[in-house]
Amino acid sequence: MAALAQQLDGSAVNAWVISVYWLWPLLEIVHFVGLSLLLGSLLVADLRLAGWFRGMGLKVVHQLLPLAAVGFAMNLVSGVLFFCGEPLRYAVNVGFQIKMALLALAGLNALWFAVSIRPAMASWPENSESGPPALAKTIAYLSLALWFGVLLFGRLIPYVGTG
Amino acid sequence: MDFLIRLESTALSVWVNESLWGYPLMLSLHVVGLALAAGVQLVLGLRLLGLFSALRLEAVSRCLRLFWAGLAINALSGTALFCPQATIFVSNMAFLIKLSLVFVGVAVVAYVQMALTRGAPATASLRLAGALGLCLWVAAISAGRLIAYL
Repeated sequence: MAALAQQLDGSAVNAWVISVYWLWPLLEIVHFVGLSLLLGSLLVADLRLAGWFRGMGLKVVHQLLPLAAVGFAMNLVSGVLFFCGEPLRYAVNVGFQIKMALLALAGLNALWFAVSIRPAMASWPENSESGPPALAKTIAYLSLALWFGVLLFGRLIPYVGTG
Repeated sequence: MDFLIRLESTALSVWVNESLWGYPLMLSLHVVGLALAAGVQLVLGLRLLGLFSALRLEAVSRCLRLFWAGLAINALSGTALFCPQATIFVSNMAFLIKLSLVFVGVAVVAYVQMALTRGAPATASLRLAGALGLCLWVAAISAGRLIAYL
């Protein structure tokens, strides 16, 4: 990451992000609306997978995932531009490093869901009394814990040291 | 103004201002509350506009308890963030606009929730309220981000 930051520092995109005065506040707005879309849709979908809100069909709640993807895309683009704007400050920031690690874990957790749960869901009853299997619940709660961790460490970036 | 100046010297204000963790903790709680409240309300608003139509509207509206939980977290954390700089916030245009948008946005969510709890179908007026709610909350988030810039 340090090498990448060195590359970006002084690059054309770095100069652009810091020279356009309205861009940073605009990126903040995009990042916060994006996180609302991402966390909001994951909250509903993951809690349903964990057995809450059973009035919603378990198999149709995944209609929400494209909304999570839209929120993630907004935050990927705005987040990459933040990094390009201040590469040397982000690269050494402990809050940012932990946020990126949690983001990677959240991605692995989503992959775990796609491999171990999603294929089996077709054969699940729409609303069983016993609720979802323990593994599905675990992955759902892990997803929420990791994403809220991403949120918290992201918010703390300006307030934590540089290690 | 006297009242605001006194707010700035309350124990809460001093703690948020001077302790190592007070301010970042309240800021963190505020973004968690935002994710809950705005997030769930965005899902409901988009559902009212016709997305995710396989999800029963009445069932989605039951998720609004997460909206109220997020709102409660943000009323408390927002108060803690406001008090130490009360005199500055009341003269910040972005803050005043944000607070107004939040009040109207909460009223819209309450209206939609009451209608859906009664079992009302997604009438044109409910869809309009859903669209209005989406605009209000995106605008409130935007105004909130601009507080530091205006």
